[in-house]
Amino acid sequence: MNDYIVTINGQKEKLSVINNHLVVNGDKEINVELSEINKHSYLLRVENKVYEVAVNRNGSDKYSFLLDGFYFETEVRTTLQEKAKELLNNREQAAHHDTIKAPMPGLILKVKKKVGDTVEMGESVVILEAMKMENEIRSPASGKIKEIIAKEGNSVEKDGIILSIE
Amino acid sequence: MFKKILIANRGEIAVRIVKACRELKITSAAIYSEADKNSLHVRAADEAYLIGPSPASESYLNVDKILTTAKEIGADAVHPGYGFLSENGDFIQKVEDAGIAFIGPSPEAVHLMGEKTSARKLMAENNVPIVPGTTKPLESAEEALKLAEDIGYPIMLKASAGGGGKGMRRVYKPDELPGAQNESLKAFSSDEVYIEKYIEDPKHIEVQILADKHGNYIHLFERECSVQRRHQKVIEESPSIAVDDKTRQAITTAAIDAAKACNYYNAGTIEFLMDKHKNFYFLEMNTRLQVEHPVTEMITGVDLVKEQIKIAAGEKLSIKQEDLKINGHAIECRVYAEDVDNNFAPSTGKIIMHKLPSGPGIRVDRGIDLLSDVSVYYDPMLAKVVAHGANREEAIARIKRALGEYKILGVITNIHAFRWVLEQKSFLDGTFDINFVDKEFMPLLPNKWKSVGAEHYEKVVTILSAILKAKENKLKAVKLECTSKNIWDKQKYE
Repeated sequence: MNDYIVTINGQKEKLSVINNHLVVNGDKEINVELSEINKHSYLLRVENKVYEVAVNRNGSDKYSFLLDGFYFETEVRTTLQEKAKELLNNREQAAHHDTIKAPMPGLILKVKKKVGDTVEMGESVVILEAMKMENEIRSPASGKIKEIIAKEGNSVEKDGIILSIE
Repeated sequence: MFKKILIANRGEIAVRIVKACRELKITSAAIYSEADKNSLHVRAADEAYLIGPSPASESYLNVDKILTTAKEIGADAVHPGYGFLSENGDFIQKVEDAGIAFIGPSPEAVHLMGEKTSARKLMAENNVPIVPGTTKPLESAEEALKLAEDIGYPIMLKASAGGGGKGMRRVYKPDELPGAQNESLKAFSSDEVYIEKYIEDPKHIEVQILADKHGNYIHLFERECSVQRRHQKVIEESPSIAVDDKTRQAITTAAIDAAKACNYYNAGTIEFLMDKHKNFYFLEMNTRLQVEHPVTEMITGVDLVKEQIKIAAGEKLSIKQEDLKINGHAIECRVYAEDVDNNFAPSTGKIIMHKLPSGPGIRVDRGIDLLSDVSVYYDPMLAKVVAHGANREEAIARIKRALGEYKILGVITNIHAFRWVLEQKSFLDGTFDINFVDKEFMPLLPNKWKSVGAEHYEKVVTILSAILKAKENKLKAVKLECTSKNIWDKQKYE
């Protein structure tokens, strides 16, 4: 119950939070102390060094941090939640279904494919205009275009789905 | 001297101009759009006027509305900042026709230097070296192909009215030409595109000049702005590590010749490309204050914005060339609201934490504060962190420290990426050129650049993540206990 899996930069770390002053990472016992300054600002003492960390919460399992000019994003789950998440991911991959999302807000200039066309991974499929620049959006997977959601000439928000591939 | 200056801009530069006005005891009047009602420039100015909806075309680019406002509020001068209307000759003309002083050059000088083809021609006539290419706008796609062949690939296509990387495309092969031409045209309403030789691996060196309306010209040395992404400057410094005394003499002389050629007055910047052999070529003249002006201010001690105001008021330059010398080294990092790992997509939101750096040699020019909104409507630059040191090494050490102290939450910024740049060998030894970001940084996207110097901090935030989550789970458990009290309620009623 006190075991957590933290994902940072693609790596997974297992930690046990024993109590307010003790965290175990592998076979290492780490002496810690946490003080909350406000909702977004914490002091964390790790052994004999105190870090001032800015924290933002992005959804239930996600955090972002600022520390000495470095920016980090982490995902944290209990061991049980992590297993459930992995199972779900595997199922999604098995369904082989991908979407192309807008990486930034902008205007759809051109959709180069029609429903039913095949695409290769890395092939440019959409031209998105943002900040007066034409940006080529490439396909994250190979497959067949299943549905085109965005229309040419319309604008999309960041992460807005442009089309789906199966 | 002026009594009231209308600042026709927003963000950090509007705030910067307010500060100059206050020091000169001139009333500052800000204008703002609906999206900017919580912005810092609105809070900073003596007066603030809502001029329209959020899109720039209906507010900060609305010439008629700005002119009417200036007249109604009794402004006797307009400062345009950079971007927006700063290099719009027609706007300058209208301001002057209304009997209001424009803090900047004459409309004629702006027209001459703003049209890149005419600017190149003028420079060539005045012995300022230019990059080989056309002096006439292209007439057809066929002509473009033929000229590109004559000059030799790679070539560069530029929209005549472009700038800041907009409307520019590099072309390596003939079959890339038509698409590139199309994009250059789209970026600006002007349909003039010209072509020039692409100089490989050059440095971007520019010279700051000041000139009054009495024919006096001075230069304030060079700046190096070679750290660029998509032709947008990211880090600037002064002086340049690559410019020796002999080159400095030559390039500053060329800059003054360029300014004299268009009878320039006020502050201006002449941009050059410099190759490995220290040959330099005129790129363009920016007929306005530059984003990176603070590095020049730090090493010369001259307040460029106050000088601009005094020049516009008809005063003679108070500084002589021989009084100026380079004092130490200054470096600036532009803080953008952008997600570097997500193709540099602009990041929008409300600033929920804003903690400024401080200490020796640090200056921050910013357009944001707590609770200001960062929207999609405008340039994503939030602030500029500037450091001054006795030498380049100290300036770099100071800016690294300051960037570590600067905390902005609410949008994702590029501060982390600076920590990477400031560790790179080619940046530190000065061999970097304008392709530095493309060549050394882009291949590490996404995320592969991140762990440089950060391994220890990764551990810290990993521990913090687990503790925060554990704390939250404990809270949830307590809440669950609370709800179970309902049993007591039930028992009561039964």
